[in-house]
Amino acid sequence: MAYVATRGGERAIEQAERLFRDDLGVIDRARVDALRNGLPYLIDRVMGEASLYEPDLAALALAQAGGDLYEAVLLLRAYRTTQPRLAVAEPVTQPDLFTMRRISAAFKDIPGGQILGPTLDYSHRLLQVGVLSGRDYRPDAVEPAAVPAPATQPSLAAWQKAQALIPDHPVEAVAPDDIPDVTREPLLFPASRAHKLQSLARADTGGALALGYATMRGYGSVHPTVNELRLAEAPVRLRHPRGTIFSAGRVRVSQTEVISKATTGLELGFSATFGWNEVKVIAAATLDLASNQPNPHPASNEEFVLYHTEPVESSGFCIHFKLPHYVTFQSSLDALRRVKADRKATTTAPKMERQPKKEEAVL
Amino acid sequence: MTQDTTNPPAIGRFCHGEVLDILAASRPAGIKACAEVVLDDLGDVSVLTNRTGLAMLPFVDTVRNTNFHLGEVLVAEAHIRIPEHDIEGYGAVVGRDLEHAMAMAVIDAAIAAGHETSRILQFLESEQKHQNERETVRLKKVEATRVEMETF
Repeated sequence: MAYVATRGGERAIEQAERLFRDDLGVIDRARVDALRNGLPYLIDRVMGEASLYEPDLAALALAQAGGDLYEAVLLLRAYRTTQPRLAVAEPVTQPDLFTMRRISAAFKDIPGGQILGPTLDYSHRLLQVGVLSGRDYRPDAVEPAAVPAPATQPSLAAWQKAQALIPDHPVEAVAPDDIPDVTREPLLFPASRAHKLQSLARADTGGALALGYATMRGYGSVHPTVNELRLAEAPVRLRHPRGTIFSAGRVRVSQTEVISKATTGLELGFSATFGWNEVKVIAAATLDLASNQPNPHPASNEEFVLYHTEPVESSGFCIHFKLPHYVTFQSSLDALRRVKADRKATTTAPKMERQPKKEEAVL
Repeated sequence: MTQDTTNPPAIGRFCHGEVLDILAASRPAGIKACAEVVLDDLGDVSVLTNRTGLAMLPFVDTVRNTNFHLGEVLVAEAHIRIPEHDIEGYGAVVGRDLEHAMAMAVIDAAIAAGHETSRILQFLESEQKHQNERETVRLKKVEATRVEMETF
């Protein structure tokens, strides 16, 4: 594809940006705080897709973008490039997770039990329209249990491996600094599992859902059931200059395994992401599992999935089509006109054959 | 919380890892106030770094035990030196609060210098109690959602 620069319209461009920002009005700290505190699941989604965890900045990005998710993700990714990488934290394992929600749809009685946590899964979805008439909606308070839940929960997959229900795999001995990183290396195919899981962690929620849903509906060869789903907080463990490992704080994460019956037994797919985003991790875990099958359908083919669920590249490519394409389009138009003229010339050719001298004169 | 049974306590009953965990999770106003007081007689402070940056967070896949990167977390860090005591202090917290990170580094350095020990110990005890209570309240609400599934 050929690109050319266009010139002119500077004033219109400046005024267009002003008009966009004029419609959004003044962005102040109160607006950012309201977004952060009132829309935590949206903030989570933006941080997950941006692959950068900082709720204040995510709220600011949403405020500046007027709620346009792709613009917000782009703003956060751009901000990320201004920051130095200070460290690679210690790897998070499942027993590290400060767990708020942990369920299984495959096994009723799981070690540690099932904890619904914060969810609307079993609730009626009704708009509280009274709020619009000035009647505040105050949810009923939680009636706390007498004893606290355990802060961490055992791994269901580890229990299944111990029961020989699913295959176990040796733990990779890889230093944190040597873990493959798609932000510093090209994504090549067949992708390493580390690249695949990292790409799915930062994938577009809608894109992962669309392809995952297609796979669940029958365009793939797996029928997933949620083996374990967790909403939790993961510690960010850094190394002090004197060598002590400590937690600099916690970040919200989601992780899930889906399970499916295969000819050789049970198989699991996995996904995790920043923030609490159940739809994304269930869809992405399904895509992980489906892409491991022989001859996967395009909807679950690794290359197809990872390229087309990258939110910044896909949205950027989509919207670039609204930018000036005058030269390339004019070239297409010229070609069409030439073809049309050639056809006309061909259909009138017998007449011209009878008047060769006249045609030459016209040319 | 960091459990360290191999190293001797850094202050009171707390090992270095526990101290840093508590300081990073402290309420910002409290730790800054504590650091202000501790700073008074600590000596000249040389700031080596006080900046925000990224910490890449690896995660271990439960299916094949693959280490992969979940994404980057913005953190604020501070690294200081107290030439008078020939010691250094370090702090890092998730987020953008450079003052919190600096307060953490000041208290870390003060502990290494044996400076204002009783005040710092009191702060650590109080913050740890608050953090434990806050988590207990949260986890009691979580426990209320424990479900016993029945199938028919």
